[in-house]
Amino acid sequence: MERNARTFLDVVDSHKGIIYKISAAYCRNEPDRKDLVQEILLQLWLSFHKYNAQFALSTWIYRIALNVSISHLRTEYRRKRINQDLPADLLNLKDEEEPLQPESDTEFLFACIRQLKAIDRALILLYLEGKSQQEIAEIIGTTPTNVSTRVFRIKQQLKQKFSNHTK
Amino acid sequence: MDDHKLLELWKTTDQKLEACLRFNRQNAEDLTKWKVRSLLASMNPLKLFTLLMGILWVCFVDLLIINTFPYGNPFFLVSAGIQVLLTKFAIGIYLYQLILIYQVDVGEPVINTQEKLARLRSSTLWVARLLFLQLPVWTTFYITADMIKDGGAGFFLVQIPVTFAFLYLAIWLFINIKYEKRDKKWFRLLFSGREWGPVIQSMELLDQVREYRQGAPEVKE
Repeated sequence: MERNARTFLDVVDSHKGIIYKISAAYCRNEPDRKDLVQEILLQLWLSFHKYNAQFALSTWIYRIALNVSISHLRTEYRRKRINQDLPADLLNLKDEEEPLQPESDTEFLFACIRQLKAIDRALILLYLEGKSQQEIAEIIGTTPTNVSTRVFRIKQQLKQKFSNHTK
Repeated sequence: MDDHKLLELWKTTDQKLEACLRFNRQNAEDLTKWKVRSLLASMNPLKLFTLLMGILWVCFVDLLIINTFPYGNPFFLVSAGIQVLLTKFAIGIYLYQLILIYQVDVGEPVINTQEKLARLRSSTLWVARLLFLQLPVWTTFYITADMIKDGGAGFFLVQIPVTFAFLYLAIWLFINIKYEKRDKKWFRLLFSGREWGPVIQSMELLDQVREYRQGAPEVKE
C-alpha cells in the first residue's frame, strides 16, 4: 500500500463510520466531537507512515482513534490550541440529518456508553462493532479471557440501565 | 434486553451513518499538508517560557555561587546550592517527561499507550515534590554571621520556628504528595488548577490500567 495523501484519504473515507462512532462515544457535544474527529484524523495522518501491515487496517485505526479519544478526555485545552488552524468540518452529516436522535434508543445507548470508564468504553465499542475477543484483545492490549469477563460485566450494566429506562 | 437486541440497536446506527455521513475530502486534504511538529514547536508557549526562565535562573544562581564561593556567606552558598540542585532535578524530570510523551506511539495497543502517557503525566508530581522540598532554604539564604551575633533572642525566636516549620512542611509534602493521596482535600486543593487536571485524570486512568493488567474482577451473577 502506498503511503501517500490520496491513499490516506481513501482509507479514511472507507472507515469514516468507525471514527464518527468513537468520537460520539467520547464526546457528547457536537463542537467537541468535531475537534476530536480532527485530532483523530491528524494523528492517523501523522502515523500513516508507521502503519504495520501485519495488522488489519481497521485494527490500526481503532487503536489510534481510541488512544486519541481517551487522551482527549484529559488534554482538551492543549489540543484546541495546537489545532486551531486546521479545518474542523471533516465528517459531515448529509442534510444536517442527525443519526443520534436525542430521545432515541441509540442515543440512550451512546449516553450509557459515555458514562463508562474510558477503557471500558473502548471495550464495549469494539464488542458492539462485532469484533472477536481475539481482535479486541489485540486492540486493547489484554487477554481474550479478560475481554470476555469485562464485556460480560459491562453488558450487564448496560442492560440494567436499559431496563430502568424502559420502565 | 438481550445481547442480540443490543447488537441490532448498534447496527441501526451503522445503517443511518451509511446513509448520511459524508467525508469532506477537500478539507481533509489540507490536513495531509500538516507535518510532524518538532518538540519545541508543539509546546505550550507559557510552558516553554517557564522552562527557559527556569534554565536561566539555574545558570544565574550557578554563576553567583561560583563567583562568590571564595568569600561568600556560607548560609547563602549552601541555601542557593540546595535550591539550584533541586531545580535542576525538577527541570531534568520535566524535560525527560516531555521528550517521552512526544515519542509515545498512538498506534500501539490502547492499554500500553495509555499506561505510558498516564505514568509520564503523573510523574509531574515528582517535579512538584522537588520544588516544595526547597521551601526551607528560602528562610535561610539571607542569614549572615552578623545577624546571628547581633540578632539577639528575638532573631532566634522568629528564625528557628519559621525555618523548622518550613522544613517540616517541605518534608511532609515531599512524603505525602503521591498518587495514593489524590482523594485528600488538601491534595485536591493544592492541585486544583487547569494545568493539574490532566495529571489527576492520568492517575485515575492508571487505576483502570492496573485493573486491566491484573485481570477482570469477579462477576456476580
